[in-house]
Amino acid sequence: MHEIIRQLDEKRQKARLGGGQKRIDSQHAKGKLTARERIELLLDEGSFEEWDMFKEHRCTDFGMGAEAIPGDGVVTGYGTVNGRLVFVFSQDFTVFGGSLSETHAEKICKVMDHAMKVGAPVIGLNDSGGARIQEGVDSLGGYADVFQRNVMASGVIPQISMIMGPCAGGAVYSPSMTDFIFMVKDSSYMFVTGPEVVKTVTHEEVTAEELGGAVTHTSKSGVADLAFENDVEALAQLRRFIDFLPLSNREKPPVRPTADSADRIDESLDTLVPSNANQPYDMKELITKVVDEGDFFELQPDYAKNILIGFGRMEGQTVGFVANQPLVLAGCLDIKSSIKAARFVRFCDAFNIPVVTFVDVPGFMPGTSQEYGGIIKHGAKLLYAYAECTVPKVTVITRKAYGGAYDVMSSKHLRGDVNLAWPSAEIAVMGPKGAVEIIFREEKNDPEKIAAREAEYKEKFANPFVAAHRGFIDDVIMPHNTRKRICRSLAMLRDKQLDNPWRKHGNIPL
Amino acid sequence: MFKKILIANRGEIACRVIKTARKMGIKTVAVYSEADKDALFVDMADESVCIGPAASKESYLVADKIIAACKQTGAEAVHPGYGFLSENAEFSRRLEEQGIKFIGPKHYSIAKMGDKIESKKLAIEAKVNTIPGYNDPIAGPEQAVEIAKGIGYPVMIKASAGGGGKGLRVAYNDQEAFEGFSSCVNEARNSFGDDRVFIEKYVLEPRHIEIQVLGDSHGNYVYLNERDCSIQRRHQKVIEEAPSPFVDAEMRKAMGEQAVALARAVNYESAGTVEFVVSGATKEFYFLEMNTRLQVEHPVTELITGLDLVEQMIRVAYGEKLPLTQADVKINGWAMECRINAEDPFRGFLPSTGRLVKFQPPAEVDGLVRVDTGVYEGGEISMYYDSMIAKLITHGANRDQAIERMREALNAFVIRGINSNIPFQAALMQHPRFMSGIFDTSFIAKEYPQGFDASLVPHDDPMVFVTVAAALHRAFEDRDAEISGQMPGHERLVGDDYTVVRGEERTLVNVLPIEAGYEVRVGSECFVVHTGWQFGEILVNGTINGRPFTLQMERNGLKYRINHNGTQANVMVMSARWAELQALMPVKLPPDMSKFLLSPMPGLLREVAVSEGQEVKAGEKLAVIEAMKMENVLKAEQDGKVKKVVAKPGASLAVDEIIVEFE
Repeated sequence: MHEIIRQLDEKRQKARLGGGQKRIDSQHAKGKLTARERIELLLDEGSFEEWDMFKEHRCTDFGMGAEAIPGDGVVTGYGTVNGRLVFVFSQDFTVFGGSLSETHAEKICKVMDHAMKVGAPVIGLNDSGGARIQEGVDSLGGYADVFQRNVMASGVIPQISMIMGPCAGGAVYSPSMTDFIFMVKDSSYMFVTGPEVVKTVTHEEVTAEELGGAVTHTSKSGVADLAFENDVEALAQLRRFIDFLPLSNREKPPVRPTADSADRIDESLDTLVPSNANQPYDMKELITKVVDEGDFFELQPDYAKNILIGFGRMEGQTVGFVANQPLVLAGCLDIKSSIKAARFVRFCDAFNIPVVTFVDVPGFMPGTSQEYGGIIKHGAKLLYAYAECTVPKVTVITRKAYGGAYDVMSSKHLRGDVNLAWPSAEIAVMGPKGAVEIIFREEKNDPEKIAAREAEYKEKFANPFVAAHRGFIDDVIMPHNTRKRICRSLAMLRDKQLDNPWRKHGNIPL
Repeated sequence: MFKKILIANRGEIACRVIKTARKMGIKTVAVYSEADKDALFVDMADESVCIGPAASKESYLVADKIIAACKQTGAEAVHPGYGFLSENAEFSRRLEEQGIKFIGPKHYSIAKMGDKIESKKLAIEAKVNTIPGYNDPIAGPEQAVEIAKGIGYPVMIKASAGGGGKGLRVAYNDQEAFEGFSSCVNEARNSFGDDRVFIEKYVLEPRHIEIQVLGDSHGNYVYLNERDCSIQRRHQKVIEEAPSPFVDAEMRKAMGEQAVALARAVNYESAGTVEFVVSGATKEFYFLEMNTRLQVEHPVTELITGLDLVEQMIRVAYGEKLPLTQADVKINGWAMECRINAEDPFRGFLPSTGRLVKFQPPAEVDGLVRVDTGVYEGGEISMYYDSMIAKLITHGANRDQAIERMREALNAFVIRGINSNIPFQAALMQHPRFMSGIFDTSFIAKEYPQGFDASLVPHDDPMVFVTVAAALHRAFEDRDAEISGQMPGHERLVGDDYTVVRGEERTLVNVLPIEAGYEVRVGSECFVVHTGWQFGEILVNGTINGRPFTLQMERNGLKYRINHNGTQANVMVMSARWAELQALMPVKLPPDMSKFLLSPMPGLLREVAVSEGQEVKAGEKLAVIEAMKMENVLKAEQDGKVKKVVAKPGASLAVDEIIVEFE
């Protein structure tokens, strides 16, 4: 018996070495950790249960028959993050460049199937050169098997991709269908076609980093949600991020104790909105001063900066924040910001996370580039997302809520549960200046009259009370009480039940 | 006594005057510009009157508007604070004409002392020591060079109407004298509407020591000891203290008597300050100028004399006699003042404006810790006025105690949203030369020639960072382990052993939770950390082995950024395995921006002095940015050729915006 145990131990030692010490050293030299090291940091110490350590590929073409490495380029299994169950697969670049074979894909599918059965997130740590070319269509089939599972799991369990190396070609489509994509700066990239193909086809000269690096995808394309400095920081932040998410759509979001009082008032919020309606202010300050302990996990901070999205906690429980950012483009809605917020609202809705919306929106962005780009359809995504959303929705209008954008931003009319406004709120079809120019078109050459009309309009509509008279606003609140009012609203809504009519699925304007 | 007075000023000094007026049962009127309508002093005053737009030229400096505000509100007297109209003889005279008392000296005293050239003549007559120099009007830069040569370099070129470091140049050679004269004349004309300048000997190793005097309308005078204001940055006072570590009783008496003689020579009524430059080597002192107003740093005198100078000014203005004679003036302990400025010490002290997202000054303790401020959390620091937002004043039985109290007060002073010089002030409070008391006005320039980097400030007990970071990290870990939804029977177990990483240093620690704190073991040493700190708070108060500490901590990713006693430490706390893998992570250097001239501050681009294709030499002027009333000249750091001028004059620039690109 001892001998058999010794042999098992030997087999394990060998499997743990992946592609061998030389390749591990080369991985380290690139500033990257190995697949197993990454899992070690991601999961609670000693909690990892590995599956399929001895799985090997079945390919015999191109001399592959002689080159089998146990594990076949991906480490899979489950473990815990702060005691909570997660499934994980971590591609091993030291084994065949982390390339995806039929068996490699089978391993990933196995953890995904289990994750679906028990209701726990799947976390992918991607570091793969792409398809195992030697396997041909078997490898492509493997990808598709994963894609199909990504889609089936969507909205059932959270799926998170951490891109920690190359991810190119068809391989990008698995992460792209997961809920969140994080990247590591300087060592990861994602693109459908690489720089060489780009050069041949379009004659553009571009580096891999420029084409699909972490900075590109977090600021230009919006494909990735966050970029981290290195593997260690990325995995530490991933642990922090997982703490915000429910394990599946069957669960309420997790609760973590806090000493931050629900009654905490913050007098400085009374001066957040400047007296000049055209002067911007930082909406992030409102979020960080309202949320538990000032701890706001912002997503996509460098993309479509005119809207803020991210997670925080109120009285210990996860909440999704969506807020117009007056600092950028006056906080208006455009194509990118609508898409960014819409996807986030839908994630929250799928996973029972209440949505708190802070509104200061002057409207949709005008212009040919927006119209030609299809702002009608893309803006409708956010409208659709909010209207479809059945989780608790608390909205606070801090300043402008003009026109169609007012309707979109979690208004009462879209089943907003609690809609509050600061005294500085202006809820109207448009700003006083524009409105007067239209209503009193014939007086537009008389500046005195126009000024008087503007004052009249401002008096009448540029305040929260018209909306409050109609019940579109439940209450006008003191800014310093914002946290207290939101906490109470969320507590009241904790057991909210609302169902949309049965259907196969809605038809969101894509 | 007056029933109602008006304060013709803003910010902390307006608040300061209102406090004393309240104490004396006098009603107060604030005047404010549109930019100040939500300011603290407006809120504190019993009444307030808006006197125009933000620019002080159109509000705080307009005598007519202030006189009208007095009439409108029935204010019987005006306290001018410092700056603005405080040393404007014409304003004082006009108030008198209107039957309104000016809480300050008579207009003739202001006029005589306000002119640097005339005041020097008066000082000579009153047998006050003066510096060799040239006091007559100067025709042009060529003559300025001749005069400078005659006196011998270095010389100082200064605007007659200047003050507080404005309109002042030091020249070490003919070229600098030539250029300095021209720019000084320009600045004097723009800032004071008076382009006269004078030239005098620049005293080397100088200390700036000033005597506070107080006179009444009955011919009584006292001097209230000295203040040492030698810690300056570009001629702007940074730290002031009273008494001076340099002045002995005999010197104090000599300086005090000369100061009183000068005050007497102009029939000075009210509080005033006679400034001296004192040679650190010879103890010789020379009269510099007399400030005919309340000084920014008056609180240090108040804390060691027990007098309320604002109260005395009001009483004197009302016609009362001084309540004390020279024999009654004592020195009680030591007082220290740090000016808290909205500026960025890590970027060459450039002004910082914007919203005060957090402003939590240390708790005031009567007679020991005092905070004079005019701002509040959520308030706005505008670009229109001075960058000083608060004064922190501490008192101790002796100098060391006053310094120790200041360190603690600075540790507890939380400002976020804008940058402040608190980290720099805290570093000064640790500096051995500052602590020794032996320094001159070049102290900051000599000790920080490359600017200031808080991570390089030595700390006398680096274990503070290790123990506090370890304890707080354990608190975070323990709380993480309390999340709901864990696998039953497989809950998160928090380890006790950690590696504390600070730069290259790694310290192995063992952290155990105890009642209301943590026990941190490092080797055979044991540190018991107790703290009432809560998650999310920046300020951490507590004790380590019974010794109290106050520091500021912010968590950013894996890093805990801790500020204590002027040192900023970035510390990571992780398990041994994490630390091992962390060591494999590449060190990333910040991108090379040396090919760009970046805007070092938000401001208005006044001028771009170079054009595309132009060769520039190191030190050559590239651009001028205006921020907070100051023109900042950006010079080439190295030789190069201009590739592209990116920003156009007149543009509003953000920090780090590219102005010029080099090849």
